[in-house]
Amino acid sequence: MYIACRNLHYTYPGANSPVFSNLDWSIEGPGFFALFGLSGTGKSTLARLISGELSPMQGDIDCPNARRVLYTHNAERIPGWNTVGAHLRSVTPASKASLLTTILKDYGMEAHLENRFSGLSMGQKNRINLARYLVQEFDLLIADEVLANVDEPTRNHILERLKTLFPQKTFIYISHNALEVARFSQTIHVLPHGSTVGTNRIHRITGLDQQEGMETPEELVQERVYAILKSAASTSESRP
Amino acid sequence: MALGLLWGVKIIYGFSDYLIPQPLEVLQVADQNGLLYVKAVLNTLAVAIAGHMVAIVLATVVGLVGRLNTWPGNFTRTAAYNLQAYPIVAVAPIIFLFLGDGLASRLLIAAMICYFPLLLNFIGIFAKPVEEVEHFFRITGRINWRLELSIRTFENLDKITTVIVGSGTMALVGTIIAEFLAATDGIGYIIRKALYQSNLAKILVALFLIGLCSSLYLSFIETIGGWIKMRLYGTRSSPYDQV
Repeated sequence: MYIACRNLHYTYPGANSPVFSNLDWSIEGPGFFALFGLSGTGKSTLARLISGELSPMQGDIDCPNARRVLYTHNAERIPGWNTVGAHLRSVTPASKASLLTTILKDYGMEAHLENRFSGLSMGQKNRINLARYLVQEFDLLIADEVLANVDEPTRNHILERLKTLFPQKTFIYISHNALEVARFSQTIHVLPHGSTVGTNRIHRITGLDQQEGMETPEELVQERVYAILKSAASTSESRP
Repeated sequence: MALGLLWGVKIIYGFSDYLIPQPLEVLQVADQNGLLYVKAVLNTLAVAIAGHMVAIVLATVVGLVGRLNTWPGNFTRTAAYNLQAYPIVAVAPIIFLFLGDGLASRLLIAAMICYFPLLLNFIGIFAKPVEEVEHFFRITGRINWRLELSIRTFENLDKITTVIVGSGTMALVGTIIAEFLAATDGIGYIIRKALYQSNLAKILVALFLIGLCSSLYLSFIETIGGWIKMRLYGTRSSPYDQV
């Protein structure tokens, strides 16, 4: 699975400056990749451009093998007239029913299926939302802060299980948590701050790609975190 | 309380019985004409409810068209915004000229009075996406117009209930004004006759019954709205408003 963005340019209506200008970027799956950057650097915008929710003003996005690109974010809700379980059953294809059961068990959500979505905690809502996306057909899933409200041990477990259950899928995980992306991602794509006129370059940092059952030495994790944060704080013209 | 205030003013300023009648006179009028006035106010209420229901159905249907980004939708929205600015009560005499002073005129005026506020609210609700809920269905190719409307209606149930209750008051007021202007039935007609007779006691009794009926009708609509919300939300108010 391959995605390439060439000469991408996007400005929000009414904005004074573009989010991107002449952005070139590519990613080759399968695997678990992260998109990292300070607030306002355009991570969600890039995700929405790739998923087709937004159209670039200039440039193009090429996804020859990605027939289905899904984008999800942590503000999503399910319709309130259904219980969580009823909604999940209605949106899960028959062939994915057992996968759904596995995911709900992994996420500790089995006991909450008779609740309404509004009755769940923020972390539980995040998990249910992610679960319903994972049982859809997709080639690429862009997950934008989808586990932001989940506690760290559960989050780490979820990310490990994601990679075990979906080894042939491509994920782009958007997060502000440098520790998490350093530990679990194959590659971290860092959007530098400062989207002035000029060429935006996304920096790539090799991640530690921790798998289920593995432990990563903390020194390595800290080293990656430092590299990521330094890269994120750099301007678009410099390289780490 | 209002009557008490009125009689307080009478005592303080020494107004004559001609201007503000004694409480005993009001009670005598109520005793003599009570049944007639109750029938009249129920007649008015029936017309107002019928007009209100017609307006709700019509506003829903036209609102479904008005939400579209096509030329019928744009035309509907523009027409609604412009027409709602015109005072419907000013058109009432013309309606009576064309349709006579019977039920049809009263029904039409009652419906028209509350139609435009309903329509504008419904267009606003049906046209505005609820992105946090619709996004999943849109991106997975499951969205259709029925699901969109279901989501938007559910998410705005509080607003819908409020506008229906408010327009119920308008329907009743509109019916009474129409009857006052030119009808030959209903409590508005009773008030017009009392005014020609300069009989404030009759007017006060009529107003009391109007207030009573109006409160009962609005309480009924609010109860229905609360029941619907209880069935759909599981609580009487939107769970997304609860902190």
